[in-house]
Amino acid sequence: MNESADSWVGKSIKRKEDVRLIRGQGQYLSDMVVSRMLHLGFVRSIHAHARIKSIDTSQAARMPGVVAVITGQEFKDWASVLTDVSIPNLPGQTKRPLYWPLPADTVYHVGEPVVAVVARDKYLLEDAMELVDIDYEPLPVVIDAEEALKPGAPLLYPEWGDNIIYHQHIQGGDAQKAFAQADLVISERFQCHRTGAQPMETRGMLATYDEAQGLTLWLTTQRPHNIRDLLASYMRLPHDRVRVIQPRDMGSAFGSKAPFYREEIVASHLAMKLGQPVRWIENRMESLMNVGQERDQIHYVDAALRKDGTLLAVRDRIIANCGDGQVGIYAGFAMPHLGAMYLVNGNDVAAVDIDLTCVVTNKASLTPVRAFGSYPGRFAVDRILDIAGRRLGIDPLEMRKRNAIKQFPHTTPVGVHVDSGDFIGALDKAAAALGYPAAFRAEQARARDNGRYLGVGFCMGVELSGVPSEVLVEMENTPGYGVATVNVDAQGKVHIAEGDSPHGQSHETTFAQAVASELGLTPDDVYVTYGDTFSTPFSTGTLGSRGASYTLSAAVLAARALRPRICRIAAHLLKLPPEAGQPEQFRFAGGEVIWIKDPAKRITLREIAHVSIVAPTKLPPGIDPGLEHTYHFEAAASGMHSCNVHGLTVEVFPDTGKFTVLKYVAVDDSGLAINPMVVRGQIHGGVWMGLGNATSEEYVYDETGQQLTATLADYHMLSAMDMPREFEVIHHDVASPHTPLGSKGKGEGVPGMAPAALANAIEDALTPFGIKITDLPLKTEYIWRLLHPDQAAAKV
Amino acid sequence: MSAKVSITINGQLYPATVENRMLLVDFIREVAGLTGTHVGCSVEGRCGVCTVVLEGKAVKSCLMLAVQADGARLLTIEGLAQDGRLHPIQEGFWEKHALQCGFCTPGQMCTIYDLLKSDRRSDEEIRGALSGVLCPCTGYVHIVEAVKAARTKLDAMSPQERQKFFPL
Repeated sequence: MNESADSWVGKSIKRKEDVRLIRGQGQYLSDMVVSRMLHLGFVRSIHAHARIKSIDTSQAARMPGVVAVITGQEFKDWASVLTDVSIPNLPGQTKRPLYWPLPADTVYHVGEPVVAVVARDKYLLEDAMELVDIDYEPLPVVIDAEEALKPGAPLLYPEWGDNIIYHQHIQGGDAQKAFAQADLVISERFQCHRTGAQPMETRGMLATYDEAQGLTLWLTTQRPHNIRDLLASYMRLPHDRVRVIQPRDMGSAFGSKAPFYREEIVASHLAMKLGQPVRWIENRMESLMNVGQERDQIHYVDAALRKDGTLLAVRDRIIANCGDGQVGIYAGFAMPHLGAMYLVNGNDVAAVDIDLTCVVTNKASLTPVRAFGSYPGRFAVDRILDIAGRRLGIDPLEMRKRNAIKQFPHTTPVGVHVDSGDFIGALDKAAAALGYPAAFRAEQARARDNGRYLGVGFCMGVELSGVPSEVLVEMENTPGYGVATVNVDAQGKVHIAEGDSPHGQSHETTFAQAVASELGLTPDDVYVTYGDTFSTPFSTGTLGSRGASYTLSAAVLAARALRPRICRIAAHLLKLPPEAGQPEQFRFAGGEVIWIKDPAKRITLREIAHVSIVAPTKLPPGIDPGLEHTYHFEAAASGMHSCNVHGLTVEVFPDTGKFTVLKYVAVDDSGLAINPMVVRGQIHGGVWMGLGNATSEEYVYDETGQQLTATLADYHMLSAMDMPREFEVIHHDVASPHTPLGSKGKGEGVPGMAPAALANAIEDALTPFGIKITDLPLKTEYIWRLLHPDQAAAKV
Repeated sequence: MSAKVSITINGQLYPATVENRMLLVDFIREVAGLTGTHVGCSVEGRCGVCTVVLEGKAVKSCLMLAVQADGARLLTIEGLAQDGRLHPIQEGFWEKHALQCGFCTPGQMCTIYDLLKSDRRSDEEIRGALSGVLCPCTGYVHIVEAVKAARTKLDAMSPQERQKFFPL
């Protein structure tokens, strides 16, 4: 074995997950079938706001093969779902919507579950659901957030007196002074539509119950431990009788599988009530009507600038359309809250003054999606840099260099701690990759002479690298630390157990690379299990780029913690002098523990493990059997981030408003990429989402609250044909000082870069026309209307 | 109403009596027990993750009834490897990291099988074929690379060897 090549960190090895997935041997939720399994389905509201006058379930209940039909009556004596532990406990003023697993008397959005039907066969189930008859009395509907704030607007929850679920004033630095000193004040209204994610595997769950073990819920979830705790708390069951398991494989999530949804309560209740396994698989229409809806914010921004382009202060009045807020953990407003905290992002701005109003409407509740809450704000602020730069005659790259955070660590005026990064270097790399400025500007000028319109745009920002407990405890009632148990088994193979729930993030591979490197093994010697509340340590879940920042660090430190004991045993078995048993006297390589002083003295980890576990009589005195350690990793920083720059070039066709991205460049800071190929995959997917959200994906509601985009034909996600043909990822890593390997989490924030970069490029291309982009999505029609206001007005 | 059908999947015959309304994808997953084929959009036909190969052509198995496939030969992801060797498409996906969650992968691979069998295999034709299957994880960048890698491997094979990887 090659002893020098003992570090697997930084290598683009093939993934361990793929051994099963490329053969069709994955195990996803809907692949699970157990005997006596029943099928659950939901009859959902066809009204955006209505009182339920009556429900007739008799015909459905009589159908052969139907086992149960329940309505909100079933839960009328239960508590409301949102309790102190399932709603954010943030510093602003919060109101709490009351709701039950199925509604007692009122529905609040189209697609809300109203009646649950259980049948022996899924085809029969569809027939039975057709027979449920619900009589509604429609109530006034409010869809637009600004309308919902007006006096006399229909109220979702009349006991509140208004439609404001959350209000917060977020402030730091002296904005008043900054505005008094400003050479230029830019005031704009920016709007970002409702868009987000649709994972290819919809939600699903399989609940089983027996008197001995209690409830077991297999669930497509990003946070099995939190869901177990919330379910147990809500259903008043002890933890030892509630087990939540994320199946081995899950068809992505992007945040949408992080909440505590009401369907898992209904399925669990029915499994207990009927004493039979109950499975629910969400269909795509249900998913599009309830899940993965994010963004949906309006920003009234005032920006104070000096002549030289320095951004002195930002004031922002944010109005977030949270939908009905009926979703556990987030209640629709955790996302806009965090987005507001991240408003100035990678800019070094002295003062911030934000008024955040989160509004309930008769849309589905917002649920988290990648770039959690910050997508609209990042669009707004990076647009401001270009709009101001144009007014001041300052190049967009220069505007970013002038305002980028340069001293690290940096704390923003509202207290976000940015540990490490290099924006200036990243900006230079992005510019170079796009031939900016000289080569691109020359090409742009030539193209314009030929009637073609090319443009360039940049976006710069920080992305979460995990979320510290300091933030997460108040926002989501859960800690931010990473935790892993590392166990060397009797064959010297290493088992890592984590309480998170990876579903595409490649933990089995990257964790194996990192831990193998700590113990002188190969990734093939390391195996990872996860997602089962009965066999993994409590952890917050796979979200917020926690993997390579927090959880992987816990695994690395757990492995390191085993090394002293391993070395003591090695010294003893090798009969070395007593003082040799110190870890620094050994190195781990090629599956062996080697005495540095005399490399002929070496012993395999397998032999040490065998002694430690199977033959403890051979252990040195005072050393306990077993080689296992659980490490809880809480970074010594109130926040860790990566600092990234994206840039792109675009061609726009002014006659139609159509545009094409020619080249996309992502300059990415992963601290230290454990597996660079995996990191690139995360960025590709994040950019795909960022571009799709910015251009073609939109959850459209009409004025009556009907959802017009309840198929994937209408909610258009980008295909391979829609993606830029040139797409370059450039690694620009700055190690985090707070993780053992310097690694940073990757994936969560990526989409936030795309909308401003794209809008900036389109506007740059159309400089001769002098348009100003303030709204998303950037549909062809919107660009055309900006270009042809007279014709657009004539057509209205 | 039920009907007797016989469908050959990956070389094995599956005779069964099924309801007329049973979808082909349910036959594959629930009657034959081949859960490698997935359902992503619940019978809209847009997402493409249920794509399988039917008599050499990629079809969306949620848009067909099992009775329509009576007597037909199908290939699913479980049948791509030949004689214990991974299909070049599978190797390409593994080497280029063309999957993350893996849920759309079976549909991608069966779509590409149809493409690489044909002579419509330019870079743009690869993208065109892939547009039938949505992938929210990868941005398609590595998938396109994987297909090109598979194309290169297949091109280097003898016609007989190549034929072995396209039994349908």
